[in-house]
Amino acid sequence: MPARRKMAAGRGRGKNDQRQQEAVGPRGNEERERGLTRSSNTSEPWRVGVLFSRTGFMAVIEETQLRGTLTAIDEINNSGGVNGRPIEPTVYDPGSEARAFGRLAKRLMVEDGVSTIFGCYTSSSRKAVLPVVERLNGLLWYPTLYEGFEFSPNVIYTGATPNQNSVELCRVLMKLYGPRVFFVGSDYIYPRESNRIMRELIRNSGGSVVGESYVRLGATRSEFLPVMREVKKAQPDVIFSTVVGDGTVFLYQAYADLGLDPKVMPIASLTTTEAEIRAMGFDVGEGHITAAPYFQGIGNERNSSFVRRYKKRYGEDEPTNMCLEASYFQVNVFAKTLEETNSMDTEILRASVMGSEFEAPQGNVAINPIWGHADLWTRVGRANSLGQFDLVYESPSCVAADPYLIGYSRSIGQRSLALA
Amino acid sequence: MHNPTFETTTMTRVREKGQRGERQEKSPPSSSQTSARTFWDMKVAVIVERDDDGERLIRELQRMRCGVHHEWPMPQQVPAQFDAIFCALTDDLPQRLPWLPGEPAAALIVVDHGKGALDLTLLHNCAPHAVLTYPSTGRAAQASLAVARSHFLYERRLRSRIDKLDDSLRTTRSVERAKSLLIRVKKVSEEEAYNYLRRQAMERRVTIGAVANAIIDSYDLLG
Repeated sequence: MPARRKMAAGRGRGKNDQRQQEAVGPRGNEERERGLTRSSNTSEPWRVGVLFSRTGFMAVIEETQLRGTLTAIDEINNSGGVNGRPIEPTVYDPGSEARAFGRLAKRLMVEDGVSTIFGCYTSSSRKAVLPVVERLNGLLWYPTLYEGFEFSPNVIYTGATPNQNSVELCRVLMKLYGPRVFFVGSDYIYPRESNRIMRELIRNSGGSVVGESYVRLGATRSEFLPVMREVKKAQPDVIFSTVVGDGTVFLYQAYADLGLDPKVMPIASLTTTEAEIRAMGFDVGEGHITAAPYFQGIGNERNSSFVRRYKKRYGEDEPTNMCLEASYFQVNVFAKTLEETNSMDTEILRASVMGSEFEAPQGNVAINPIWGHADLWTRVGRANSLGQFDLVYESPSCVAADPYLIGYSRSIGQRSLALA
Repeated sequence: MHNPTFETTTMTRVREKGQRGERQEKSPPSSSQTSARTFWDMKVAVIVERDDDGERLIRELQRMRCGVHHEWPMPQQVPAQFDAIFCALTDDLPQRLPWLPGEPAAALIVVDHGKGALDLTLLHNCAPHAVLTYPSTGRAAQASLAVARSHFLYERRLRSRIDKLDDSLRTTRSVERAKSLLIRVKKVSEEEAYNYLRRQAMERRVTIGAVANAIIDSYDLLG
């Protein structure tokens, strides 16, 4: 990334000198080194861990996070690595099972000797990794939106929290569709907590929750039909879905099979990305609403080039999405930080990353120094017939993370809609 | 705080000499304090080789009136259902521990044989609560058990405090919401609204958070 290169020549040096890296014997310089070699006199790789599911019911989205992570690592390595040393990922597949995330985090830290881990989609998997990185003092980079109300000195959160997606989504929905909302969710931490916050927003803005239904994580197709029948009966203005994984596809397809019309009663979500839309079919996804910091279709040169490179690598049909983008930019934030610190020590890395800014495909973002959460853009999009999102709302700049919802207003504001 | 190790030794000696109870009564009676009694019937697993050092450790623990369970060779998975576990520091100990780092089920004292260089990374990865290094003395065994157990319990208290804080953070939000609902719907003052919540909680013998959530939910149902 451009920012990283800029950093390389300037500020990076000073810190390198102070914090001489952990003693790795001189091994001869990396060929492609960019001439700032003083402390990088080894070609030993920087080893990191990667935990995303390639199998199980979360594979659709986590596979894209894995790709985002590996793409970033490859790009960095192809342009000479970090201070002349390549990043070497150790990748495990936890198979969508929360406990496997904990086990594999332990294996990464204990057996593979890795202290920095990129990974996790569901909150249950993050909570399984949390005690491990906290006790062994690792650093988990978590590239997924979640329900907030968490802080750990051993996690950098680069997905959106409710003040960065739910607040605006609620405002847009009530304005465009109406105040009566039906909640459908997967039965685990994120949907329940996320709905608690959404309910508060809706109520305080004069709306109402007319029904609420949960399906188990990993539910089969047939379990969604009764839910959608219930929704049809309740006739809300909007369905707010916190269903994740394969269930997303089943939910939207059940909706389509019942002949419901997204123009009058769309499904709104914080998790349905281009990846899920593609899996359910563009026709099924069309007209539904998602709030996210990033959509493939946002128009800026940095993103266009990111999308081009991604498609070149994985195929023209492969869309990018918010989780992929967060996975991609967080590796770059890590690399930029590592370039300054030249040390994988958690304390040093963390101290250096807090407050740093970065040019991501979604726009300029920063790691909030108070919370270790990323300040991200707020966008609301409507899926079109090509499986892409047309922007309905976009924040004027990135929005500061407020995971405990301390500073946000309890009801949606009076700002006018910036309809695209 | 008084010096627990010192107290422990004194009290043990007192008991062994078979002196009468007057002096024991003077010491803190609370069983939660660290005293020799703390170790009585404590379930302690000892997973070390039964060489001279191992025998000495077991004897000391028995002398402390611990319930000692010895096992060797080391099982594939270290058993967890003990108050404290003395376990030989082997290269693969982290893999044999039955819990995830950060979620220990017992106080762990790793036993270092005292030969060669100490592997600090290995030590870090075991995340023990104390270390006992051979050749050890009875006093060192006692101290390591006391320190390990108190660290383990302290960690557990901290974890539960964090859980409670997280929980009350959410409760506070619910109470705030319920309060503002009551102010709006029942047209009462803030203090009256809060008193109403508290009274309901007392009468129903539930937490104020539960009352608040019930009000919020029922209000949602009424639409």
